[in-house]
Amino acid sequence: MEKKVVLPITDENGYYQIRLESIGGLGANLCGKMLGELGIKYLGLNSASFSSYGSEKTGTPVKGFIRYSSADLDIKLHSPIKTPHLLVIFHDALLSDTSVLKGCGSDTDIIVNTVNGKDRQELLELEDYHCVYFLDAQKIAIETKSRINVVMLGAIAKVMGFVELEDLNAICKDTLGRKYPASLSQNMEGIRRGYEEVDIAFESDRSKSPKGNKNEEESIWGYETAPIGGINPCFGNSVVNDLSPSRQGYFPIFIPEKCINCGLCDTTCPDMVFQFQKGEFKGREMMLNKGLDYYHCKGCLRCVTVCPVQALVRGVEAEHPHKKYFMPNQELLRNPDNYEKAGYDGYITSEAFLTEQRIKGGEV
Amino acid sequence: MQECKQIIEFASGNEMASMAIKQIGYDLMGYYPITPSTQIAENLDLMKAEGNLDLIMIAAEGEHSAAGICYGAAVGGGRVINATSANGLLYALEQFPVQSGTRFPMVMNVACRTVSGPLSIKGDHSDIMYMLNVGWPILFAHSAQQVYDFNIVALKLAETVRLPVVVAYDGFFTSHQKRRCMRFEHDEDVRNFIGEKHEPYPFLDLEHPITIGSYMNEPDLINNRYQLHLAMEEAKNVLPKMFDEYGTLCGRSYKWCEGYCHEDAETLLVLLGSSFDTATVAVDRLRKQGRKVGVLTLGALRPFPEEELAEILRYASHILIADRQDSYGGVGGNFSMEIRAVMQKYGCAGKVKSLVYGLGGKDFYVEDAITMFDMAEEESPDNLFYYGVEKGNSQQAELEKQQFFAPLSAEKTRILQQSNQVTGGQINQTTAMPKRLAPGHGACPGCGIPVNINMLLRAIEDPVVLLFQTGCGMIVTTPYPKTSFKVPYLHNLFQNGAATLSGLAEICYRKQEKGELPRGDIVFIMVSGDGGMDIGMGSALSTAMRGHRLLMFEYDNGGYMNTGYQFSYSTPKGAVSATSHVGRCQFGKRYFHKDMPQLMAAANIPYVATVAESNPVDFIKKAAKAADYAKKEGCAYVKAISACPLNWNDAPDKERKVIEAAVDCCYFPLYEVERGITTLSYDPHKSGKKIPVLDWLSMMGRTKHLKNNEYNAVVESLQEEVDRRFQCLLAKSENPYL
Repeated sequence: MEKKVVLPITDENGYYQIRLESIGGLGANLCGKMLGELGIKYLGLNSASFSSYGSEKTGTPVKGFIRYSSADLDIKLHSPIKTPHLLVIFHDALLSDTSVLKGCGSDTDIIVNTVNGKDRQELLELEDYHCVYFLDAQKIAIETKSRINVVMLGAIAKVMGFVELEDLNAICKDTLGRKYPASLSQNMEGIRRGYEEVDIAFESDRSKSPKGNKNEEESIWGYETAPIGGINPCFGNSVVNDLSPSRQGYFPIFIPEKCINCGLCDTTCPDMVFQFQKGEFKGREMMLNKGLDYYHCKGCLRCVTVCPVQALVRGVEAEHPHKKYFMPNQELLRNPDNYEKAGYDGYITSEAFLTEQRIKGGEV
Repeated sequence: MQECKQIIEFASGNEMASMAIKQIGYDLMGYYPITPSTQIAENLDLMKAEGNLDLIMIAAEGEHSAAGICYGAAVGGGRVINATSANGLLYALEQFPVQSGTRFPMVMNVACRTVSGPLSIKGDHSDIMYMLNVGWPILFAHSAQQVYDFNIVALKLAETVRLPVVVAYDGFFTSHQKRRCMRFEHDEDVRNFIGEKHEPYPFLDLEHPITIGSYMNEPDLINNRYQLHLAMEEAKNVLPKMFDEYGTLCGRSYKWCEGYCHEDAETLLVLLGSSFDTATVAVDRLRKQGRKVGVLTLGALRPFPEEELAEILRYASHILIADRQDSYGGVGGNFSMEIRAVMQKYGCAGKVKSLVYGLGGKDFYVEDAITMFDMAEEESPDNLFYYGVEKGNSQQAELEKQQFFAPLSAEKTRILQQSNQVTGGQINQTTAMPKRLAPGHGACPGCGIPVNINMLLRAIEDPVVLLFQTGCGMIVTTPYPKTSFKVPYLHNLFQNGAATLSGLAEICYRKQEKGELPRGDIVFIMVSGDGGMDIGMGSALSTAMRGHRLLMFEYDNGGYMNTGYQFSYSTPKGAVSATSHVGRCQFGKRYFHKDMPQLMAAANIPYVATVAESNPVDFIKKAAKAADYAKKEGCAYVKAISACPLNWNDAPDKERKVIEAAVDCCYFPLYEVERGITTLSYDPHKSGKKIPVLDWLSMMGRTKHLKNNEYNAVVESLQEEVDRRFQCLLAKSENPYL
């Protein structure tokens, strides 16, 4: 059954281009790989796929790139995709940095993974794009015991419009089925629901209006401004990173009435979140836990497990829009002009191991 | 010969290299993981685990040794393969002329990456150009397909001219991007093409003993080198024929020089690697505008295809050579200089310019190629040009330099205002210690590295100077232009941290003695992890034995986590990793974990200790003690077991419990060796907390499979080893002379 899909739209080089915007851990890398393989094996297309690799600057989220072309065309470009036909956002927190929308315009379809009920207009200007779709992939993944990436894969296929569910199932079997037959049906169910439940929020005609702003930002540090040798004189300036996008829905809630100020939370926190100050506790002068610096809390919940008196408990972040006892780093001389939204470093220099873990549903 | 059956693969350059290696049927791979070439070993290990590959794979403790392993195996008559990149290549560099000079064929894949420092893992050609003078033919593939094809041709070439051969390609661009590729369906077709291996001087033939590696003076050495030169000349002759022969099998014909629209081009862009493909798209666009442009690349850097090159270059009026590396202070990159030399030799009259671009993996777009064509045709002097550099914004840079923190003066860290050693039981008190590490680093949620660093430093009331060896700890804290360090911090490469710190400390002490720096205690601390005590063990042990006053701190996360978790020597036996897969024929890592504290104890340094975050009071006390020894007496070594939720594959919030289990099962016993006297800090037997080692293994995804009965023997052997080591410690703690 040799299919020959005709791409609905291509750029001047003959490519249909997809960009995935994700945070390390959501499986965008594997999703991109599956999309690439899908093109060659089941769509009669040529394809190429790759991810942004390695130790990017801290917090640079992971990007995936897929190019499709007709089978007779070689895909020669190795550069990242600046102007995608389809942009897939694996986590709505990524939209707090508008650069994820770079190069997108009235030609671009966008899929955003977001929880049901979120104000969609607040996330992005729907009218600026060709079509915008939403999907609660997290919920579907939990309900089907699959992973966000397969749910997104289903949605991507639906939105592209030239992939049928059976092709997705085939690629899912190829990639995941052979080694992990146990989770195959769950993943296929995740794909199906992604395919069926992706929800269109805005639709417009394709027009010829120019794509979004392609200009690169001017960098602050160049050969005239940067100290020689890569020396960095701005000690501790990573403090401007806001790591809250690293959290996966949960965060520690502090209940000061229960706190005995033992300090164990401070010994287990990898992110210097706890703010202790001198004070008095039960008549004794000692260090007191004054609150948490949620800018830097990645939601690992080590502190919740370690706390001997349950003064720190796990909370669902969405249920606590106003965080009590939020105390920014007290050693700061000045507050950053703005905290830069960031995630943790997504390490995908090596795919083999992580791919397996993701398939197994490990905490990657 | 007729075309052999082929099948389509959707694969990256590294995957195609692995496929070729598998199909060729090598005997041995000696390697050391380094991005971006590591995937080759990972893929092969997976094939091996599943029983699809019969290959001895030896993960050395560093690239230098990996090259040695390969050399020995090649001398023994094996077919041998290696893969490396960047600083790994440079670390092994001295071995390469040994191999070529004594004429033992093998193949090494080089996924090209920029050479540190500042450390970067991305692709450029600064590593491969170091190989130009070592006597190895260097094939350069610009696509994943070529990586496969060149790997097959490389071995045949190697065995024909009896020289080791490199197959080079762009790191990430070619090594990681997945493309449509073709490969032979049957391994036999590959093997038939390469043919049998002939050994002119079989070393293991005991009837005819030979000596390899004579000591050679003048007048002989130059003759040996001339033989090498002749072998390279022979390679020049046979390579085009091999490409032709290979072409008849696969239908892909390769030339030493590959051009696109070059025949009638007036303006030529010459570049190496994946950029060639991108530039062809630019050529298509400009040709549509009627501009006679073309692009050219080379399929081999050694031997250098001078005649073919000259033949193409002589008709172009403007030539721009773009280098992805620089020979600083020369007239361009090495590629550029050689092409210019060829043009001079063959009297090519075109105007030539050189530029340096794309360093550290800076992306190359079609627009860049178009700009380069414009530059080639511009009337401008032939000065070396750096393409894509930026001045920066000085106004904003000034603003950025405003500090967020006050410097950590000595007074600020003297939280107890008392003597040098924290006496214990004072975790609350130590929360007053200002953190030397600022928040905002990029470690994964629940990472043990910052936990352990903070735990160590909260006990040290003196100013500290930190040196990190390469590893996750270093990468996540210092991504330019950010840094998480609030104290002086230096990075040096994986194998050399301890030595570097010893030099630094000695200069400080000297300056203090001369009165150039105020006297006062500074604790010099080297931080290593991610297997840094494999490649860096020699340096660390030697530094220890020299007795410098410094502290070595190892956060041992049991694997090379910064490169995607390949096993290290301290990974537990049986653990799965990217280079110790579990499969039908493999149970995970084959051998026991390294006992670094005992190795350090054998160096007879004044203080050795093991610590765990699950025993914070003990940790803090030992840290303070170690700092005190490091200030006053000599070298101290402290090792912490450090959680890696990503690769241990467990929940970030459970890490302290996992660590506690490692301690309670005696896999990671807590003890100290103070001036040669061993003291157990905690005996789980006595507190009734001793658990079987399997209880700990079951908590981590990487070792969970060992619960299955089929791995009983693995678990039993580990249990026995753990018990034996603990009994040794116990005996030592009972006898001061042990």
